[in-house]
Amino acid sequence: MLFSDAINDKGVFLEKIEELLILSDIGPNTTAEILERFQSINLHLFRVNDFNHFKELLKQMLHELIPPQVDTSKIDPGMLNIVLIMGVNGTGKTSFAGKLAYYYKSKGYDSLLVPADTFRAGAIEQLHYLSKEAGVEFLRAAPGSDPASVVFDGIQSARAKKKVLLIVDTAGRLHTYHNLMRELAKIKRVILKNAPDALLCSTLVIDATTGQNGLFQASNFKESLGVSDITLTKLDGTAKGGIVLTIQKELSIPVSFIAFGEKITDMCRYNQDKFIETLLD
Amino acid sequence: MLDRLSEKLKQILNKVREKGKISENDLKQSLKEIKLALLEADVHYKVVKDFISKLEKLANQESLSKTLTPGQQIIKMTHTVLTEILGEKQSKIRFNEEGPTNILLIGLQGSGKTTTAAKLALQIKKMGYIPALIAADKIRPAAIEQLQIMGEKAGADVFAGGVNQPVLNTIHEAQQWAKEHKRDVLIIDTAGRLHIDSELIQELKDIKNAIPIHETLLVLDALMGQDALRMADDFNKKIGVDGFILTKLDGDARGGVSLSIRSMTGKPIKFTGVGEKIIDLEPFYPDRMSSRILGMGDTLTLIEKIEASYEAGELQDISKKEFREQFNLNDFYQQLKKIKEIGSLESIFNLLPGQFSGSLKHLKQNTDNEEKTLNKVEAIIGSMTNKERLEPGIINGSRRRRIAKGSGTSVNEVNRLLNQFSAMKKILKQQSSKKSLIPFMR
Repeated sequence: MLFSDAINDKGVFLEKIEELLILSDIGPNTTAEILERFQSINLHLFRVNDFNHFKELLKQMLHELIPPQVDTSKIDPGMLNIVLIMGVNGTGKTSFAGKLAYYYKSKGYDSLLVPADTFRAGAIEQLHYLSKEAGVEFLRAAPGSDPASVVFDGIQSARAKKKVLLIVDTAGRLHTYHNLMRELAKIKRVILKNAPDALLCSTLVIDATTGQNGLFQASNFKESLGVSDITLTKLDGTAKGGIVLTIQKELSIPVSFIAFGEKITDMCRYNQDKFIETLLD
Repeated sequence: MLDRLSEKLKQILNKVREKGKISENDLKQSLKEIKLALLEADVHYKVVKDFISKLEKLANQESLSKTLTPGQQIIKMTHTVLTEILGEKQSKIRFNEEGPTNILLIGLQGSGKTTTAAKLALQIKKMGYIPALIAADKIRPAAIEQLQIMGEKAGADVFAGGVNQPVLNTIHEAQQWAKEHKRDVLIIDTAGRLHIDSELIQELKDIKNAIPIHETLLVLDALMGQDALRMADDFNKKIGVDGFILTKLDGDARGGVSLSIRSMTGKPIKFTGVGEKIIDLEPFYPDRMSSRILGMGDTLTLIEKIEASYEAGELQDISKKEFREQFNLNDFYQQLKKIKEIGSLESIFNLLPGQFSGSLKHLKQNTDNEEKTLNKVEAIIGSMTNKERLEPGIINGSRRRRIAKGSGTSVNEVNRLLNQFSAMKKILKQQSSKKSLIPFMR
C-alpha cells in the first residue's frame, strides 16, 4: 500500500516514512531520529519495491530505538495492592477502573473500587454502575467530599474486607493545574502513610488520540507524583497512540495495558511487538 | 494554550529577525524549523506541508519590501498564512428566529460534550435566550446525572426522558416539552462515539432527519494529535458539521488541531473551553488565535504603525550619515517620545535591536512598570541642559548628581542611561546602509 508505489527516489521514500510516523503521533523528534537512521542506509542495497522489507527495517529501528520498558504491574496476593488511576480529563479513567476490576476479578483477585473523583458530576454513579458490571464491591462516597479521605476510607474498608486489590479512580486533571496536582499528591501521601506495606501502582491513563501533549502529561505527572505505568485507552478508533513510544523512550515509563472499546472486557496487556505492528499498518 | 508554539515560533523568528538579509539557506532553515514547531503543536502533517509550501511560494514571490527586512517579511507572511487558514471573523451561533433553535453536540468519548453543553447553555442564557439541555446520551453510565448536575449549575433545565427510552423518542418529546415550556434553544447532548462506529453515526443521522437541527457542533479536545483531522473530516462528511468547540485549551496543549480542522473542513471554531468552571467557555477569535500562534501580534501592528509614522516623516531617517553621526540625546528623546505614542513599551522593546533592548530591559527590571521606566528616561533627559544633550561627553560627576536630583532618580540610573546611549550611538555608527529606524528597530 504505502510502499507499493515506491520509489527509487530516496527523498520521496523518506517522506513516506515521515508521513507514516508523524501520523501515528510518535512525534517529530523521534521521527527525525528514525529518518536519520534511514539516511545512513544505502537504499540501493535493498529491493526498493519490497514493502515487507522496509516495514521490517522500520520495525527493527523502532525496536532498537524504543526498547520496551519492564512492566512491573503485578498483583501480589500476599498483600494489599493499590492501583491509583490518574490522568487528564476524558481519557477514560473511570471506564478503565471498571475494566481493571473485571480483569483482575477474572484472574481471581477481588477488588474494591473507590471513587476518589468526587468532583465530576456523575463520576461516582458511573463507577458504581461499573462496579456492578464487574461484580466487585464499591465504596460509597459523597459528591464534593475530600478525595483523600475517601481513599483513607477505602484503605480501611479494603483491609477489613480482606481485599487483595484497591482500585482508586481519581478526577481528571490537566497537569498544568498545580492545586489539582497537589490534591493528587495528598491522596498519594494518605496511601503511603496508611498503607505503607501495600504495593502501590500509580497508573497514568493516556488516550490514543492524544498528540504531542502526551509527553508533557507524562513528564509532569511523573515529576509531581511518580508514574509506575501507562494504560493506553481508546485504541478502537483510528488513532494509533504512537506518543506512548516516545514517552517510553524519553521517560522510561512502561505501558502495561491497552483498552479499546465500551465493553467491560475490552482491554488487554500491552504487547510492544503487536503495538508496533499495528502502528505501521 | 498555544503559548508553547508561540514561544517556539518566536524563537525561530527572532533568529531571522535580527538579520538584515536572508539567504536562501536561512529561508530553508526557517521553514524547516517552522515545520517542526507546527508538527510539535499537532498540526496535521498534510496541513503543515501545505502551510510550508504556501510560505515558500510567498517568500519567493514577494519582492523585498522597502521598509521591512526579509526577516520581518517572513513574520508577516507566516501571520498572513495563519490568518488565512484560521479565518478572519468570529463565527457565532446561528439562531433560528422562527422557533426553537436545536443545537446538536457531537464528538468522541471524553472530548467534554456534557460539560460543554452546560457551559454553552450558560452562554446562551446570557444572550437572552431560554436554553434547555436535552440528555441524549443513553450509553455512558451516569451521563444523564452528570448533565442534570451541570444543568443546575448553569441554571438551565434538563430534559432527560427515560434511561431505557430510545434517543429519538426523547428528542421528539423534548420538542413538544420545549414548546409547552417556552424554551427557545435546545442543546442536545449526545453520547460520545467514534467516527467509524456506523451504528452510532446512523443514530446521529436519524436525529438530524427527525427534527430540524440548526447547529451541529463537533466538540473536540485540543490535546488531540494527528487523528483529530481525520475524525473531524469523517464526522463532517457523514453527518455535516457547522462548527467546532475546542475543549481543554486551559492546559498547555499547543492547539495545532485548530489549524488542521479549519483548513481541512473550512468550518469555523465557534467556542473554546478554557477551564473547569461553568463560565469557562469563550468565543473563538481567529485573528487573536493566529496572533497568539505567532506570539507577535502586537509586533505586527507596531511594524505597521512604525511604517506609517516613518512615511509621515515623524520618525527620523537614520540612513542619513549626518543624522547617525550627530545623533544626540535630544534625538533619542524625540524618537522615544514618538515611539511611546505608537505602542506599549514592552512591544517596542521587542522591536529594538538586541543590545539596546537588552539595556532598556535592564533598566526596566528596576521599576515596577514599563511606563515608569520611560518616564524616568524622559525625566533624566529632561533634567539635562541642551548642551548636555548635544554633547553628553561633558556630563561629569557633579552634573550627574544634579541631573539625578533634578529628575528624582539616582546617579546610578543616570549612569546607566548614559551608557546605554553611548552603546546605541556606537551601533548607529556601525550601521552602514540602513534606510530608516524601522529596519534598525528589529
